[in-house]
Amino acid sequence: MKEFMTGNDAVACAVRLCRTPLIAAYPITPQTPIYEKLSEWEASGELKGIMMRTESEHSAMASCIAASLTGVRTFTATSSQGIALMHEMLHFAAGCRVPVVMANVNRLLAAPWGFWADQLDSLSQRDTGWIQFYCENGQESLDTVIQAYKIAEKAYLPAMLSLEAFFVSHFMEPVDIPDQEQVDRFLPPLDLPHRFDIDKPGYLVPVVPPELYRKYKHMAQTSMNSVKEIAARVDHEFREEFGRGYGIIEPVLLDDAETVLVTAGSIASTARVALRVLREQGHRVGLLKLRLFRPFPVEAIQQTLKGKKKIAVIDRNISVGGGGIFCQELRAALVHSQDHPLTFSYIAGIGGTDVNPEVIERIALDVMEKTEPIDTPIWIMEE
Amino acid sequence: MDMEIKNDFSSELVIPISYGSSEVIETGKWGFEKPETAFMTAPCQEVCPAGNAIPRFLYLAGEERYEEALETILKENPFPGVCGRVCFHPCEKDCHRGQYDEVVSINTMERYVFDVTSDHHPDIHPMSTLSSKQVAVVGSGPAGLSAAYFLGLLGYQVTLFEARKELGGVMRWGIPEYRLPKSILTKEIKRILQLSIDVKKGVRMGKEISFEELDQFDAVFLSPGAGLNLPLGIEGEDLKKVWRGRDLLDQLNSGDKIRIGKEIIVIGGGNTAMDVARSALRLGSKVTVAYRRTRGEMPAIQDEIREAEEEGVRFEFLIQPIKIRLLKNRRVRVKFQQMRIRGRDQSNRPKAIPIKGEYLTLEADGLITAVGEGVDLSWIPGTLSKNNLIDVSSSLTTPYPKIFAGGDAIDQPRTIVTAIASGKRAAISIDLHLRGWLYDDVFSKIRVGNKGALSMEAYLSGRNGGNWSEPKDTISYPQLNTFFFEHSKRIEMRKLDRNKVLKGFSEVNLGFTSDEARKASSRCFSCGTCNYCHNCYFFCPEGAISLDPLHQTKTVDLDHCKGCGTCAKVCPRYVVLMKELS
Repeated sequence: MKEFMTGNDAVACAVRLCRTPLIAAYPITPQTPIYEKLSEWEASGELKGIMMRTESEHSAMASCIAASLTGVRTFTATSSQGIALMHEMLHFAAGCRVPVVMANVNRLLAAPWGFWADQLDSLSQRDTGWIQFYCENGQESLDTVIQAYKIAEKAYLPAMLSLEAFFVSHFMEPVDIPDQEQVDRFLPPLDLPHRFDIDKPGYLVPVVPPELYRKYKHMAQTSMNSVKEIAARVDHEFREEFGRGYGIIEPVLLDDAETVLVTAGSIASTARVALRVLREQGHRVGLLKLRLFRPFPVEAIQQTLKGKKKIAVIDRNISVGGGGIFCQELRAALVHSQDHPLTFSYIAGIGGTDVNPEVIERIALDVMEKTEPIDTPIWIMEE
Repeated sequence: MDMEIKNDFSSELVIPISYGSSEVIETGKWGFEKPETAFMTAPCQEVCPAGNAIPRFLYLAGEERYEEALETILKENPFPGVCGRVCFHPCEKDCHRGQYDEVVSINTMERYVFDVTSDHHPDIHPMSTLSSKQVAVVGSGPAGLSAAYFLGLLGYQVTLFEARKELGGVMRWGIPEYRLPKSILTKEIKRILQLSIDVKKGVRMGKEISFEELDQFDAVFLSPGAGLNLPLGIEGEDLKKVWRGRDLLDQLNSGDKIRIGKEIIVIGGGNTAMDVARSALRLGSKVTVAYRRTRGEMPAIQDEIREAEEEGVRFEFLIQPIKIRLLKNRRVRVKFQQMRIRGRDQSNRPKAIPIKGEYLTLEADGLITAVGEGVDLSWIPGTLSKNNLIDVSSSLTTPYPKIFAGGDAIDQPRTIVTAIASGKRAAISIDLHLRGWLYDDVFSKIRVGNKGALSMEAYLSGRNGGNWSEPKDTISYPQLNTFFFEHSKRIEMRKLDRNKVLKGFSEVNLGFTSDEARKASSRCFSCGTCNYCHNCYFFCPEGAISLDPLHQTKTVDLDHCKGCGTCAKVCPRYVVLMKELS
């Protein structure tokens, strides 16, 4: 059944459908509607779980970790300063191998203060050991929550999905809400080992010697690496159950493309429109949408971009002193492929600035003219 | 590293869980400071002349461990039942809680501890091996009985001489029944006499026994009290209608039937004046108290003045009697000189001086004088006296080497508790004298704060080896962490119904109910004394503190205490202090 709703509401719907027993969160714009929606449903009885209203995001994540260790599904939502405050606990979640699922609404990080879309908040957390997805719209956000539980619970790793402030979180679109029965079939009740067992008391997160620490990190890396395969399989199963899927990356009109636009999140949606215009003009341009960011799907990307001449990565984020973060990751992924393409970094949409189809067309035309590599990012400003 | 960690990588757990203990990691080695429990002296305790361990007994009372509370008081003061009723309780004036909201009802709690344990008969026995040394105590008022009690605890053979037929001195003869029922006093004396004190009643000094005969004792404590009424020194004071305050109280306390007139004037502003004024009310008289200074200068206990006012005593201030005449209608007419306050006298009290030519005349059916009491020194060698008192040093020695003195007969405030304190001080002095130790060295170690009180418990703790630990410092208000306290009202005790007060000599103050007592004692901040609030235990991030309130121990696991100082910060009563490791 389709409903007209915001991306935030779509996320809340997914959490309800996943029968998450413990939600711990702290409100922050532009994530608050998720928190409010779940609270409303808790009050009306439609949500079977508990909404824990913690005093901070740090505590919210700590609560999720503890609850997850008792073997239950957990959820939190946050944004911007909230995820920054959570940082320490993100490492704990990954280290404790808890399949917590979190929705992060991408909002710029202060200072200066602002509320607008920017992916730096979640990308700053790329080394915390979390699975990361970037969602294009409300439907994908809803579906990714459901998929994230299944993936996280298989890999014993926490997973976050990001949806951009306002462009996805607050835009209303028709969203297909799956039946509860379908979701239950896809996502059976959780059967995690009870790692907090009152009958067998133990001390979690003890001090370990160096070799043991290394061992656990190595195990986490091995598990994380397997997520690429797990995520692809889960997406496939999802498609079978619900009739739609996304892949861990999505190639659009790539077969004959010489120039490839690479981007993630809502810009991918706009790029589809730009692509149509560019194709009509006769340009052999394609699009690669990045959906899974951690683990970074290196092999799939290498395979997909084989033989391409030029790539323009559009980043709604900047690692100051480095460049667009997706571009950095992409360049690293391609460095060992033969005749790897020239890769250009375009910074567009920072701080919530608009990336409309014309901007993307400009980028495509610009990159087609480039013949020499450029290491530094190219900023797209208003003309 | 000897830690048991589950290393089963094939397991689904994939995280380290220690089923052993992390105790092997001695985090205590990381610290630079360690917590120390250091009890401090509370201001109530410091200002109490008897050095009563007030926070301690209130803690025990709060736990409803009343027998232990009683035994705690008895370590420093043999008269909780008396002091709980008639003490001027300076402890409450200095109570730190007064700076936070309202002072704790210490006085009434002392009374409650005595009252509620009326079936409990603590075993009072000497704290040390018996000595063959004999000590005489002359006079059985609060000073004499206290000296006998503490000397008995120290193992001496005490002979107590009392001129009257019953023991108690001023507590028996000078305080009216409505303030201190005789049954209370009797019970306290009975407890003291468990110490096999040889009591000689009806033995008057200079009559049945001479001063010289006291020489057979190894030491002597003189506490004859101040039983002589001081005269007004004016015309007419020998008239039949003029009563002497102490004599009147004595007669009332002896059970004599007394008739005084319908209208009575009481001269004086001290406790005796208040006692006779209120007694006269109970005999059916209308009473006017005439005092030569103002209310602010009255030496009586403030509560007594207030209660006298409430009961209907009238006050005339700034008048001094100069002449008393008997009128034909058998009434007396008193001529008063009008006074005013100007400057201060030798003892720094505001001085009353006459206003030339201004007089006031009052008439009444009788007059009671209560302008102070003197000491009968007729049986004492002149070299022992000075300014009509017995001459003593700070250690209560007299010019005669083995003679000591205390109570109202020496130069000190005339209150029950200061008399008790002098009895204790003299007992310690006598012990030191008989053991050949120096007074001052020991007194400086066993002092309770800096206001003159001594601790018998501290004295006993070091007496065997002759070694005493350093005295505790007094805790100041800012040292308390009042964040942990909640505001609450002071608990006031119930009083006898207004209609019944003047119908007889029934006790006016009725003490606490058990509920009130629990509330009142739990209001104590326990300044400087651990009351097992468990803050240190709860807040210790290492779980390195264990508390056992029952056995009153607090243990810090120093192998695991990192010295973070949280316990010291969260202690509401400044008991935990951080000490740097050398």
